[in-house]
Amino acid sequence: MRFPHDRVTVKVGPPASKAIAGWRCFASKHRRQTWVQILERLVFLVDDSMWKSGVFFVLKAKVTRQKSKLCVVLAMAMLIFAGCRGRTDVGSQPAAVPMMVVTDDLGRTVTIPVKITRVVSLAPSVTENIFAVGAGDRLVGDTTFCNYPEQAKQIAKIGDTMTPNIESIIALKPDVVFVSTASQIEAFMKPLEANGIAVYVTNPTSLDGVLKDLKQFGELLGTQDTADKLVTDLQRRIRAALPPAECDLMPHRRVFVQISKEPLFTIGKQSFLTELINRVDGQSVTSDVDSAYPRLSKETASALDPEIIILSESDDNKEPNDVFKNSRAVKTGRVYRISADILSRPGPRLVDALEQISRCVPPCAAF
Amino acid sequence: MLVIVLMASAMLGAERLPLFDLNEQQRSILFDIRLPRILLGACVGASLAVAGAGLQSLLRNPLAEPYLLGVSNGAALGTMLAFVFFQSLEITRPLLAFAGAGLATIAVYRMAKSRAGMNVERLVLSGVIVTTFLSSVIVMLTTLLDAAKLRSFTFWLLGDLSQATRNGVYLSAGAVIVGTVILMSQARALNLMMVGERDAFDFGVEVGRVRMLVFGASSLVVGAAVAASGSVGYVGLIVPHLVRLTVGSDNRLVVPFSAIAGAVFVVFADTIARTAIAPRELPVGAVTALIGAPLFIYLLRKN
Repeated sequence: MRFPHDRVTVKVGPPASKAIAGWRCFASKHRRQTWVQILERLVFLVDDSMWKSGVFFVLKAKVTRQKSKLCVVLAMAMLIFAGCRGRTDVGSQPAAVPMMVVTDDLGRTVTIPVKITRVVSLAPSVTENIFAVGAGDRLVGDTTFCNYPEQAKQIAKIGDTMTPNIESIIALKPDVVFVSTASQIEAFMKPLEANGIAVYVTNPTSLDGVLKDLKQFGELLGTQDTADKLVTDLQRRIRAALPPAECDLMPHRRVFVQISKEPLFTIGKQSFLTELINRVDGQSVTSDVDSAYPRLSKETASALDPEIIILSESDDNKEPNDVFKNSRAVKTGRVYRISADILSRPGPRLVDALEQISRCVPPCAAF
Repeated sequence: MLVIVLMASAMLGAERLPLFDLNEQQRSILFDIRLPRILLGACVGASLAVAGAGLQSLLRNPLAEPYLLGVSNGAALGTMLAFVFFQSLEITRPLLAFAGAGLATIAVYRMAKSRAGMNVERLVLSGVIVTTFLSSVIVMLTTLLDAAKLRSFTFWLLGDLSQATRNGVYLSAGAVIVGTVILMSQARALNLMMVGERDAFDFGVEVGRVRMLVFGASSLVVGAAVAASGSVGYVGLIVPHLVRLTVGSDNRLVVPFSAIAGAVFVVFADTIARTAIAPRELPVGAVTALIGAPLFIYLLRKN
């Protein structure tokens, strides 16, 4: 059972903290009223948005009929704060550090300091993004997987992406922790937020999403100029890597991307790599398979008969799976290896990935 | 029945194949990918089921099962060690799996045996303890060792037949034939031991020898099965019970019929695993557990 006050703390700024404390006290008293809980659940099923939660407070105030006046007042307060969505400076408030409310990639509102000085990254792609926009000096903690750029290795490690150590993170006293859905589930949000640490979730699902994230990082960290220059540069490189427009009319090359040899994993509909393949002159043969990185049946793989195989190169993925031994790709020697670090991280080096893929999938005329 | 299921399973799959006139690619799918997998599934099912049947009779315990007694986990740990230390030598995997299975069996048996003899609770308890201990060792190893190297292991631990090769099939087929023959040769003695070890001894059964042979045979088949496919649960538990319900509790019938029924069960479950969400795949261990657990509850309530 989710309790609304858990999320409300995220959504409103410090000035509302007193109101929240009152609300918490009130809510905890009524925790056991099951029909109130049912109402809560109903409201949250309908819509997760602020507006509905505001309605819910009113509803709850009515149904409990205790201290209802206070509740209505509280609910109004919530609604008012819910109205202030997007980027709002609330620096004039008595809090020592000026804060701002921002919306992250999952549509959550997060309250963070206007001037961010200490950042923890929970994903290699996020680490690369932060260094790329020129804020690497403010990164105080990252994961053991963060190996690029070279300076990232020197930063205090807080565990790997799947099992970060919450205590180490808290000890680093970050202003904000950046999480990426590309590397882990958002499960770490809850324990971190419960400890009063702001969590900003990035959810890049395409090349454009990565560029958007880079700009957003620049804005959050106050390095817009570097970020804008970087994005312009990346856009120029993307245009250069794309095939000439007349190639669109020609049949596309059938590409298979092997993520792991045994068991056989590939890229599916939701992977940003599918988009990259399709943007250069290729067609991912598994683009209609559900999920981002599906485990593929060997029978299906054998029948796909790709013309080009790209291996996401890692220790256990240096050769194509045996089922491809009779495929056109293996017979004609069109098997390529691209570092898994570059292919798997939705960061600035995704443009490197695009360039390398475009070299593997030659434009229509050259094939 | 086994033949029918094998045929049906050979026709079903992620790729639709015609009955006749296969082209080269379709033939390769059928003979290099699908058939080895089906045959391996049959061997694994037969292995786990006969091991379960043998252990249940020997220990006079309806809950005895390779998975519950830690035998599977012993074999899994053995395979994993072989994978880590002798990666190039594939033959070490079944060998170490066999050793692991044997050691786990002996450990459980020693822990369960007290001066007062062996009782059901002690056996199940020591089995559970050995199982959890071994799983934590496995988890420790996967955490400590290089992630990329062991990525395939997390899937393998859930039971995975997709890595079937012809050699793997020959090996498990050999193991299951030898194991079944040994268990069948001891079937009469096992019948007597179901009455009680002391009574069996009075009837002239060499209790120690029978015990060693049954433990050895079940370690052999489970070792081969786990090395080939990981831990496929519930087969060793549910199949012998179903067989006993149909043919009675004479081990001379229970052991061979368990082998056949186990093969049918796993091939059936794997067909579901291959086709349910094609072209993606489910781990076969999850399917056997999904079918096995409700079936077991049904049997419990019926008796």
